[in-house]
Amino acid sequence: MTPPTVDIRPYLEELERFADGQLNAAEQEAFEVRLEQDAGLYQAYQAYEQLTADLRWVAGHETLFQRLLALDLRLDQRQEALQRIRRRVRRVQRQWAGAALVGALLLLAVWWFWPAAPATEATWTRYYVPEAGLTDAVVRENQRPLLAEAMRQYRDGHYTPALYALRRMPSNTIGQDTLTYYNGIFLLSQQEPAQILASQPFLRRVAMQSGSALAGRARYHLGMAYWRNQQITAARNTLRAVANDTRNPYQDAARQVLRSGVIKDK
Amino acid sequence: MNTPQQLAEVLTSLRMGNQSFLITFYEQNRSLFARWARRQHQLAPPAAHGLLRAVLVEFYDQAADGRLTKLPPDVRAYVYGMADEQTRAARTTAVLPQAEAGRRQRLLGLFRELGLDCQKMLMYFYFRGYNFEKMAGKMGFANANVARKQKAACLRKLYELQLRAAPTAAG
Repeated sequence: MTPPTVDIRPYLEELERFADGQLNAAEQEAFEVRLEQDAGLYQAYQAYEQLTADLRWVAGHETLFQRLLALDLRLDQRQEALQRIRRRVRRVQRQWAGAALVGALLLLAVWWFWPAAPATEATWTRYYVPEAGLTDAVVRENQRPLLAEAMRQYRDGHYTPALYALRRMPSNTIGQDTLTYYNGIFLLSQQEPAQILASQPFLRRVAMQSGSALAGRARYHLGMAYWRNQQITAARNTLRAVANDTRNPYQDAARQVLRSGVIKDK
Repeated sequence: MNTPQQLAEVLTSLRMGNQSFLITFYEQNRSLFARWARRQHQLAPPAAHGLLRAVLVEFYDQAADGRLTKLPPDVRAYVYGMADEQTRAARTTAVLPQAEAGRRQRLLGLFRELGLDCQKMLMYFYFRGYNFEKMAGKMGFANANVARKQKAACLRKLYELQLRAAPTAAG
């Protein structure tokens, strides 16, 4: 770089006013005359012109540089925002996929664990022939109101109240085997695992009394109770005995169950 | 943009100080260039962006001071070539003493020492051609006279910086 040979500071203000078109006509004319006569002013003018020409170049260069820098910042911000949006979309997609996976696993688990029990239940219900209960003629309501109440509740499907009514009956008004039998029947009808298990001793006791008219019927219900509780061998043997008993009113029902082969392990 | 006519027009507008062609070029090619620079020169994106900016400013300088007499038919290839050259030059000459910087480059360095307001005003006046009225509006000055005085002060400051730097430059 050539160092400035002349200090333009003393002339700077009027040089600038001249160059920037700030002088009026008379002032400008006077300045131009001085420019021709004053060598110092002329040198300063030359130096000033070079400085401003360079400054124009610098200003253009720097303007572009700063515009590009600002644009760069803007593009960075835009890119960041786009990435943020993309990340958010991906996160939501991942959450949905996770939820779908959990749902699918849940469904799979339900499918895996559910069917066994309900299938037996449904089959059991399809084959089970429920006890009809005692008819009104047999009950004779005016003499045994509690028995009549128990039978009504039983027929209406209210097994727990039926059981209460039965248990409140004085034992001398009804045969012990009948009481035991219906105890078992009402328990079995509730279709809860605990109750079904509890019904078995009652039914078994009646089934063992070979003199009782209810023994054959009790045997059928006992067999069905065994099946329902997955005591397969006991169920099969008991129902086989029913199927071979020609006097048993449930012979056909027992035969049908055995023939269909639905009594099997899970 | 590709016919000789259009290329000539771009060059003319660049010479007249219309930089929008390069601004658009940067906006459209930044990410593409960054990918190229990463593959070609193992540059991280911010460095690649800086390189492209430097190349475009150099391209503009070439157009503005007449070194570029004809706009190359494939501007992108030309710019990539310049970038290639710059990275290679940076690698081989980084340790060599810098060649004496040109007068303008020195002035550019001094210009950057000025305050941001001064830089802005001098760019407005000497590049964008704003009059004092408009400059006062842009800078939030009371009137054109204040703008004129402020601009004069900035020019004086720059000149004084140049004076102070001159003895070392001569030596």
